[in-house]
Amino acid sequence: MANKNAIEVKNLVKTYGDVYALNNVNLNIAEGEYFVLLGPSGGGKTTLLRSIGGFIRPDSGNVSIKGNNVDNLPPDKRPTSMVFQGFALFPHMSVSQNIGYGLKLKSIAKEIIISKVNKMMDLVGLTGLSNRMPHELSGGQQQRVQLARALILENDVLLLDEPLSALDAQLRKDMCIELKRLQKTVGITFVHVTHNQEEAMSVADRIAIIADGEMIEEGTPQEIYSNPKNKFTAEFIGENNIFTGLITELNKNSITVDIIEDQINILNKNYNVKKNQKVSLSVKSESIEIGINKKVTDKVNKLQGKVTEITFLGQFVRYLILLKNGQEIQVRTSHESKNIKLNDNVSLSWDLEDFLLHEK
Amino acid sequence: MSLRDDFQPKWKLFLKWGWLSFAVFILMAPVFYTMYISFNELGFGAKYYVFTFQWYENVFSDKQLINALGWTMLLALITLPIVIPFGLLSAKLYKQSTKKVWIVFVLLSPLFVPADILGSALLVFFKNLNKFFTFISEYTGIYMFETWFDLGIMTAVIGLIVYTLPYVFVVVMITMARYRPEQTEAARDLGASAWRAFWEVEFPQIRAGVFSACAFVVILTFNEYTRTSLLKGGFDTFTSVLISQMLNTGMSEESYAMASIVSLVAIVIVSVILIVTAVRTEQLEKLTRVVKEPN
Repeated sequence: MANKNAIEVKNLVKTYGDVYALNNVNLNIAEGEYFVLLGPSGGGKTTLLRSIGGFIRPDSGNVSIKGNNVDNLPPDKRPTSMVFQGFALFPHMSVSQNIGYGLKLKSIAKEIIISKVNKMMDLVGLTGLSNRMPHELSGGQQQRVQLARALILENDVLLLDEPLSALDAQLRKDMCIELKRLQKTVGITFVHVTHNQEEAMSVADRIAIIADGEMIEEGTPQEIYSNPKNKFTAEFIGENNIFTGLITELNKNSITVDIIEDQINILNKNYNVKKNQKVSLSVKSESIEIGINKKVTDKVNKLQGKVTEITFLGQFVRYLILLKNGQEIQVRTSHESKNIKLNDNVSLSWDLEDFLLHEK
Repeated sequence: MSLRDDFQPKWKLFLKWGWLSFAVFILMAPVFYTMYISFNELGFGAKYYVFTFQWYENVFSDKQLINALGWTMLLALITLPIVIPFGLLSAKLYKQSTKKVWIVFVLLSPLFVPADILGSALLVFFKNLNKFFTFISEYTGIYMFETWFDLGIMTAVIGLIVYTLPYVFVVVMITMARYRPEQTEAARDLGASAWRAFWEVEFPQIRAGVFSACAFVVILTFNEYTRTSLLKGGFDTFTSVLISQMLNTGMSEESYAMASIVSLVAIVIVSVILIVTAVRTEQLEKLTRVVKEPN
């Protein structure tokens, strides 16, 4: 992957009245990267994408594409193409007319347009559908037309604004694979907005978490999932249990945190913390082992609780456990234990390195 | 999908349709009776009915009336290219604005002012403007705008614009409400200028509404009497001739024929608009629906 930046966003601010849609956002996206902006609805990710595409003029800050400042350029003058959430196909034009519209605007010869449209239709898997009207296509096919229409212009950056949100779960999974394959084939930068973490994980080279108009954290899907630095990321990605407590012991190898009625001992991964500091801890629901209550010998590395809910979710089973301090946590196992029943007292254990500490 | 009550007894449905048909019949009966009389050679109140086209022939050979028809058509043709873009722009402004109530209030306000009051107000306004321009002309020695606001085609057209703009706005706004702005953004993103995005992407989808608005403007111009009579100056329009003939000589058989022609044209145009709008609405719903499986 090239190291040069395709997109540079510096100190971007956008407000609507008193609300900050973007609050001093900085971001670099490398050339040829599949970059995902992930976050809850209303967090500012679409605003950021639309600022890059030129559909929104930010209050302050800069956007550069391939080293060129594009702050004063409207969408039709930027080297970007956009795939919209839905309803953006022109309903009065056929599939081939939709795909070729951008080339027609560039006054390219009709024969060249036809040839390029056919190639693009083959690339996105729409062969033989050129004369269909948009309403005659499935949701997935409609999004493929949008993709083809955007890619045919051979711009440097493709912006995708929740492109799969209108599709059903299975189609979304298929389209994720398709998008990743396409991006590798065409080799340009993709910037994809979604609130769906599974979608983000399956396509992204890198992910940025955006919430409340702020860039929370960025990294590879593995980094974001396995080692979230921020409490918000831990809450948003995966199924993490969050604890809040006070550091009571701190040494080179381990940290002990007092949560109400219990203690949790974690590995010290060079965290920048002090004794008596209030911190947040997180542990993934699938990292916790659950067993029928035995005598707890090592109080520091085990918690006890009562099963309040058991939910069978197909590939796994989720247990809701009420701890002694009144907090409810989730435990996920790949199979249902025949021994564990509702209202059973259970003990929970984990490996030391499974717990993460969040300073923010 | 429309709201349905599957448990409603059938007689209630018949009652609703019966009531609706009765209301339409009561409203339209005088119009149809006028049409009926217009084909009777013996005229209104006669004991016998003898079918004829005589009164229609008389109408079309009446030079004053044909002349008035020409003036009315001219007014409609001048009003159309001014009021339709105004209406389009107003509807676009409405769609983009966050202060929608104010836009609706401002644009529909001419509908809440009685016709004679609005006509008189415009008359006084134009007379004052005339005085102002006369003063300017005399003061500057440039006389080209001295007669700008003399009563005539221009003042009548301004009156018609004020009168028809709310209707154009409402008709275009309803059609535009179904248009998805993402399509304009997509067109802009593909390299279209704002004008091309409008003309090649948005306009084909709101065309039915724009044509309906054009038809309404023509109908309203033909039906309008009060404002146009006050503002038109020296020429006659279709309704002014019709009404003056009725006032001077009473309802002649030709008057019934003229009234029938106007009613018939209006009914046909409105019916076509309603049918086209209904068909278009159905088409648009089909177009915007995301079909899960390919056909």
